[in-house]
Parts: sequence; structure tokens; C-alpha cells
Amino acid sequence: MISIMFSLLLVPLFSALLIFLIPNSRKETFRPIGIAFSLITLTQCVYLLFGEYAKTEFTILSTFQWIQSYGINLHFGLSGMSTLLLLLSSLLVFVSLLSIGKDHSESKGFVGSLLMLHFAINGVFISGDLISLFIFFEALLIPMYFLMGIWGGENRRYATIKFILYTVFGSVFIFIGTVYTAVLSFGVNGRLAVDFETLSSLSLLESQSKTLFLLFTFGFLIKVPIFPLHTWLPDAHVEAPTAGSIMLAGVLLKVGAYGILRVSIPFFTEGFLAYKNLIAILSVIGIIYGAIVAIAQIDIKKLIAYSSVSHMGFVMLGISAGGFLSIEGAIIQMINHGITAGALFMLVGFIYERRHTRKISDFGGVKISMPRYAAIFLFTSFASIGLPGLNGFVGEFMILMGSFNSYKILTSFAAFGVVLAAIYMLWAYQRMFTGPIKYEENESLSDLNSRETASIAPLVLLMLFIGIYPNYIESFVIQEASFLSDTIAMFKDLK
Amino acid sequence: MTTVSEILGINYVVIAPTLALLLTVIVLLFCTITISTPMYVKKYVSFVGILLTLFTIFLKFGLFLTDGVSSYFTEKILLDEFALVGNVLVGMVLLFTFNSFWKTSELIEDKTTEALILILMSASGFLLMIDAENFIMLFIGLEIGSISLYALAGLNRGDQLSNEAALKYFLLGSLASCIFVYGIALIYVSLSIIGVYETSIAISFIGPDNVPLTTFIGLILIIVGLLFKVAAAPFQAWAPDVYQGSPTGYVGYMATVAKVSSFIVLARLVAVSLTFIIDQFDLFFGAVVILSVLAGALFAANQTDLKRLIAYSGVIQSGFILSGISSGVYGISASTFYLITYIIQLIGIFTVFSIISGQLSSDFQISNISGLFKENKFITITFSIFMLGLAGLPLTSGFVSKFILITNLWSYERYILVTVLMLTTVAGFYFYLRPIWVAAVEKTENVVEKIQVKNSDKLLLGLLAALTIYFGLLPDTLVNITRWMVEGYL
Repeated sequence: MISIMFSLLLVPLFSALLIFLIPNSRKETFRPIGIAFSLITLTQCVYLLFGEYAKTEFTILSTFQWIQSYGINLHFGLSGMSTLLLLLSSLLVFVSLLSIGKDHSESKGFVGSLLMLHFAINGVFISGDLISLFIFFEALLIPMYFLMGIWGGENRRYATIKFILYTVFGSVFIFIGTVYTAVLSFGVNGRLAVDFETLSSLSLLESQSKTLFLLFTFGFLIKVPIFPLHTWLPDAHVEAPTAGSIMLAGVLLKVGAYGILRVSIPFFTEGFLAYKNLIAILSVIGIIYGAIVAIAQIDIKKLIAYSSVSHMGFVMLGISAGGFLSIEGAIIQMINHGITAGALFMLVGFIYERRHTRKISDFGGVKISMPRYAAIFLFTSFASIGLPGLNGFVGEFMILMGSFNSYKILTSFAAFGVVLAAIYMLWAYQRMFTGPIKYEENESLSDLNSRETASIAPLVLLMLFIGIYPNYIESFVIQEASFLSDTIAMFKDLK
Repeated sequence: MTTVSEILGINYVVIAPTLALLLTVIVLLFCTITISTPMYVKKYVSFVGILLTLFTIFLKFGLFLTDGVSSYFTEKILLDEFALVGNVLVGMVLLFTFNSFWKTSELIEDKTTEALILILMSASGFLLMIDAENFIMLFIGLEIGSISLYALAGLNRGDQLSNEAALKYFLLGSLASCIFVYGIALIYVSLSIIGVYETSIAISFIGPDNVPLTTFIGLILIIVGLLFKVAAAPFQAWAPDVYQGSPTGYVGYMATVAKVSSFIVLARLVAVSLTFIIDQFDLFFGAVVILSVLAGALFAANQTDLKRLIAYSGVIQSGFILSGISSGVYGISASTFYLITYIIQLIGIFTVFSIISGQLSSDFQISNISGLFKENKFITITFSIFMLGLAGLPLTSGFVSKFILITNLWSYERYILVTVLMLTTVAGFYFYLRPIWVAAVEKTENVVEKIQVKNSDKLLLGLLAALTIYFGLLPDTLVNITRWMVEGYL
């Protein structure tokens, strides 16, 4: 199990280096090599799913001595939530490598950056201490910087710098939090131990717990993003190339929520209890605000970007409600949103490659020329809205049901988010796909070819599978969700 | 005879690096004024001289193992951990910058030997400064080193910017030297002592509360003199002009050697002389640190000349290093780690600049590297690694050094400093990523053509970039070395 965990880091890194070494004259090999290596990682993740750590809380499996004189070690481990997210990220890397057009797949830098991104993401999800978490959290930025900067849209310079500065600004708080925790831990253990096992045994004063919770959560919330801190997201999503958007919406947003579930809540629970109402209010504002702004968008990619704000608001609402059901729902919603948002961005990418526009009004009647595409788009929209029987429903329903006990009014408002989602998604679908063809450019659009269908198919199948049989995915997160909700309940009782 | 030399503490091993450099200089001088010598002989002579210096530094370790911390030449030369680390660093700077400064000197045809002599003399001066126990010795070393650097800045006579740089450096540097000497005089007037250890003994004797004001002013003036050399704000005004104007091939050497020796001396001053009264300097050091990082970040944000950008980034980095030096013994070790990783990146960056724009050029606009990546992949990748290292991104040594430093500051409860430093780091991402953007990301019509990079340059850049990554992934060795340096001063 340990060797597989490390190969999750090393295989993407090695494949990226390999791609950089292949001469440019063999550029048609970049995509097959990338796909082959991401398939290896994907297989390993599936194997992990059946392993002994797939249904547990976070278990540290391996320790490295890093800076001995300070007593800083690096730890790596696995848990149910990590395994699911690793699987999600591997799947998304795999399908985005499959889906990208020729101008991207034959570029060494693009495929290489995507694999480097994969390396950093895997690193985040297997980190067992604050320092390695921070290292990989920041290392995400380098490949994203190049992906967005080189292959992005018109306004990429502004979007990239905004994205980088926002994230770095947030990570400064995480950094200070890490340093603070390390110094506190030094007082108890005599060394700067910040691994998750030591942290859970660290008893903090209430004021310390509050400060640390604020420091960490602020950094992670920028990444989620929550309502007033979300402004980098639409720019970044719109300007990033398709594969970049898929990874950004599918995985990078989850890194923020993952950090809150992994670090902020279990270790700084008193801080969480003090500020959870604020987070809940902000996330409900985010749900409604994101959905309303999405309705007004004329750019389909921007619409999906704002829908991400709305959907991630559900995740944060579930987390802040803090019950077993709501946390479980939040984790499942993270996975589901990764699948659906990834699929939607991929679909937008397909049509952008054909038409070179993303304005909704430039389309109309596309269903006639691209029936298969329209069907898949409708299906994914339904999943995104949360139609019962598809994956989106499972997470959002669990979150709403779980949060209702703690926040009756807020949850009632949040439920409107689902209605609004139906408005913006279906209205966009109506404007783009139904009716007669308005512009003659749209008549000659070719339907999805087999490669594109193959790249979207796994996501569509997953949407259906999770929607019909949510028990399976739930079984991986039960342990972790109950651990988190028990911790929260315990601290509540202490008060 | 033996007894007399023992009493005087005459030991030639302890000043052997300085002597080795002097010997090299004399050989070079002899070669130039007597017989006409081909270029390659000069090259080998100076290179062998540098290797000899490194070997003699190695000998000093042997002496240290037998003698421990001790002083020689009637308490003028000191052999301690700071001296050893400083010597090694100066030797390494010489070795790593040899490639650049040799090629630059080769281009200045009629002054090749002069340039080499100036460089080796300045190194010998800075070595003496690092070894000095006596403030007068310290001043002599500083002056030998600095005066050579002033001349080096203006060596390219035809270039107006180079002349300007030399003049500015000389005038402001002399002013700093005046301040430095005045500080020594004040300390001598108030306590009748002029030594590093003597100061701490005197202060402990009269009690930290009874230290006369003149001593305080004297110490502050000495520190100001040293802060001038490391370009900490508000003494940073010379740095951008000098970096911009001096021949690019020399700036890497000039910037690093002065920084290394001044910081090592400053660290020893704080760890030894000020050890009983360091908390009374907190406000002074804190103000300098905050001013440095803020001024550096503000000015760096809108520079279009890359050499000026690096100069202002140097002001920020000086602030970072100083913040550690002024907070405890472990802070000094963290700062030394920071210093070492910083000079590696700095040498790398200036090597890249001199490869791109030629050794003798003065200003280096950001447009000079637009589209660099297209034809010059290796240079761009190493350059990006150095820039990311300066920014402090994880997986590079910049992150580890910042992490250790901030952890130390936090444990000393310097929360304001930490906040300011971390905010500067965010701002840093803006201006450190911009050159990478211009070089590798932005699509542009007029790209830099393919530059022939010599194998020696490739090796050097590869080594420096590898070190930057290595110390980011496995910093343990270097941390242990810097911890060893301060262990005796706890």
C-alpha cells in the first residue's frame, strides 16, 4: 500500500519529466504517453479503493526525516476521502488528456504541465502533515501558472496574476498558521511536529484554537471559494484552457474544502464552533448569489464558473452544519461537483474548438447539427441541477437534509439554489440547443467524434452510477464523516 | 623565538587564504609588468589561486579542530565558526563567479590583469574582514574589499552608466566607511576597547544597564556601516544604480561577496558583542527590517530594468536575513541558511544575465528576455528556478529558508515582523513572476535568438539550479551546518 502511495507521486512526476525529454519531432507521442501514465495512476487509485485504508480515517503510513535538527518530518498517509479525491483527480487528468484538441496535445509544455499538476494534486491528498500539505498546495501554482498563462484566452495575463496573487495571499495565512502550530507543538513535544497524529493530541487554548482556525480556514476558503473571496474564480475559469478549467473546477476547488475537513475542523474544533455560523451564512449567500449571477451570464463558460460558486456553497454549508449527514453529503458533493463541473467544462471546450466562441447567443438549434453532444449536455446539466437519479441530487439532498436541523432558515434559502440551478442550466440549454438554427455556421458543426465521446463517457457513467447507487461511494466516507461529526459533537458537549 | 611568536599568536595558517590570494595577485602582477603572458596563463594562474585559497580554508578547519575558538596576532585575527563559514562562502563565491568574471575581464583587453587583481584583492580584503577580531582590522578588511569593488564597478570606462555606478558607489561607500570609523572611535572613547570579544566582556563588566550612550551610538554606527554594504533600507540607495551600471559579469561577484562578509560580521557582532544588550537594539533592527522589505517591495514592483529589480529584491532579502540575525542564536543560523541559498540564486541570476546580454553590458531591460524560452530552453528553465527560489515557492530552497526563518521569528513572538515579511512575500510573487512571464509565457514577435552557451556556463547554471532544488527538498545538511555555526553561542 505504501509503495502504491508513493508511486502516485512518482509516476506523474516521472512521466512529466519523460515528456520534457522527448524531442519535439515526435510530438504525436505526447498524448499517448501521458494517457498511458495517467492510466497507470488511475489503476493504482482503483486498487487503493479496494485496499485496507479506503474506508478509514486518515492513517499515516510513512514518515521521512526532513530537517532533523528542528525535528521536522514529512508524513504521508491515506484515508477514505483522500482515496476518493485521488481517484477523481486521476480520472479527470486521464479524461482531459483524452479530450484536449490537437494544438494542446501536441505541445510538450501542456501535457507536461498537466502531469506536473497531477503530481502536486496527488501530493496534497496524501500529505500527512501541515508542511507537506503546504508544499504541495503551493506547488499546484506553478503548472497552473503555465497552463493558464501560455494556453489561456485573451485576458489571460490579468486572470493568471489574479489567480496566483489570491492563492498566495491565502496560503500566507496557512503558512503563518503552520508556523504557529509548529511553535505550539514545539512547546509540548520538544520538536516542530505538525503531523496529523500529533496535532490531534495537541490541546489548545480556546483563543489559540480560534486564531489557528481563522488562519487556516481563510487560506482554504479562498481556494474553495466562498462568497466575497470568489472573484478570482470566474476570471480564472474563463481564461484557462479547457483542460485547465477541468482541473481547476474538478480538483483544485476541492483542495480548499479538503483542507478545511482535514485540518481546520478536526484540530481547531473550538474555532470551528465559534465561526461556523459565519461560514454558513457566507456559503448560503454564495449559493444564491452564484446562481443569480449565473443566470445573467452571456458566456457559457462563465455561467458554469458561477455555478461552481453556487455548488461549492452547498459543500461549505454542509461542512459548517457539522452533522454526520451533512458532512457526508459535503464530501460526496465534492466528488459529484468534480465530475459534473469537469464534464461541463469539457463539453464547453468541445464546442469552443468548433465554433471559437462561447457566447450563448451565438448558438441556437445546435441540437439539430450535434444531437449526441446535445444529449450529453442535457444529461450533464440535469446532473448539475441535481435531478433525482443522478449524482448531483445525492450530495445536495444529504447536505440540505443534514443542515436543516442546525440552520432551518438558511437551509430553506439554500434549497432555492437548486431551483435557480434549474433556471440557469436549462435556460442556457434552451438558448443554445433548441429551436431552429439561427446562424449558418452552426449548421455544419460536426458531432462529437469517438475520441471525444470516449473522454466524456466515463464521467457520464459515473454520474448515473453514483445517482443510482450512492451507497457505494457513501461507504468510503462513513468513517471519516462520523469521526468529524463526533469530534464536533464532543466539543459542543464540552461547552 | 618560539615563545615570542606564541605570545604574539603568530600563525600563518589562520591568514593563509588571504596570503594565498595575495600571492596569486603578485604572480599576476609579475606576469603583466615583466614578460608578456598569454591569456590562458593568467586564467590558470587565477584559477589555481582560487583553488589554493579553498585548500587553505580547508587547512583552517584543521587548525580549528586542534585550537578551538581562539585569536591570533595579538588578538587581531579570530578563528571561530563564523570565520570558517564566512571563509568557505567567500571561497565558494569566488569559485562560482570565476566563469563570469574571467570572461568579463577577458573582454576588457587592456585591463584584464587589473580586473583580476581587483577581484582577488577584494576577496582577500573581505576574508580579512571576516577573520577580524579587532574593529580596526575589520575596517582595514572592509576598505581593501570595498575600494576594489568601487574600481571594479567603473572598469568599463567607455560606458557612462558604469562611470556613474563607480562614482556613486565610491562616494556613498566612503561615507559609510566614515560612519563606520566614527563608530569605532566612539566605542574606543567610551570603553577604551576595540575588539569584538572585548566589547562583550566590557559590557558584562559594567553591566548592561550602565552602558554609556556613546557606546550605543558607536555600535549603531558600526552596524549602519555594515548595513550599507548589504543594502538594507534606508541605506539602499546605491544598490540599484551600482547593479545597473556595473559590467554585468561582475555584479554577481560584487553583490554576493559584500553581502556574505557583511552579514557574517554582523552575525558575529550580534552573537558576541551585543549578546547582553541585544534587546535594546530590537527597535532599531525591527525598523530597518520593516523599512527594507517595504521599500524593496514598493520599488521593485515597477522596475523595467531587471538588474534594478534584482537590486531591490536584494533589499528585501537583506531585510529577511537581518530579521533572523536580530532574533536569537537560532535566528542567526536560520539567517545563514537563508544567506547561503540566496547567494546561490543571486549568482545564478547574474550568470544568466551576463550570458544573455554580454559580459560588459550595463543596463538590462526586461524586454531583453522577451520570448527567451523559444530558443533558449535551458537558460530559461534555470532562470525560472532561481526566480521562483527568490519568491520562496515550495520545492525550492527559498521556501525552506523562509519557513525556518519565520518559525524562529514566531517563536520569538515577533508577530508584526512576521506579518510584514509575509505580506512582502505575496507582493514578491507579482514581480518575481513577471520576468518568467516575459521570458516563457508571453507570446511575442521578436524573440531572443539562440544563444551559444558554453559548457562551463551550462555546468555552472545546472549546478546552481540543482543546489536550489536540492536544498529545497533535502535541506538537512545545510541546516545542520548553520546550526553547528551558532552552537557555541547559545
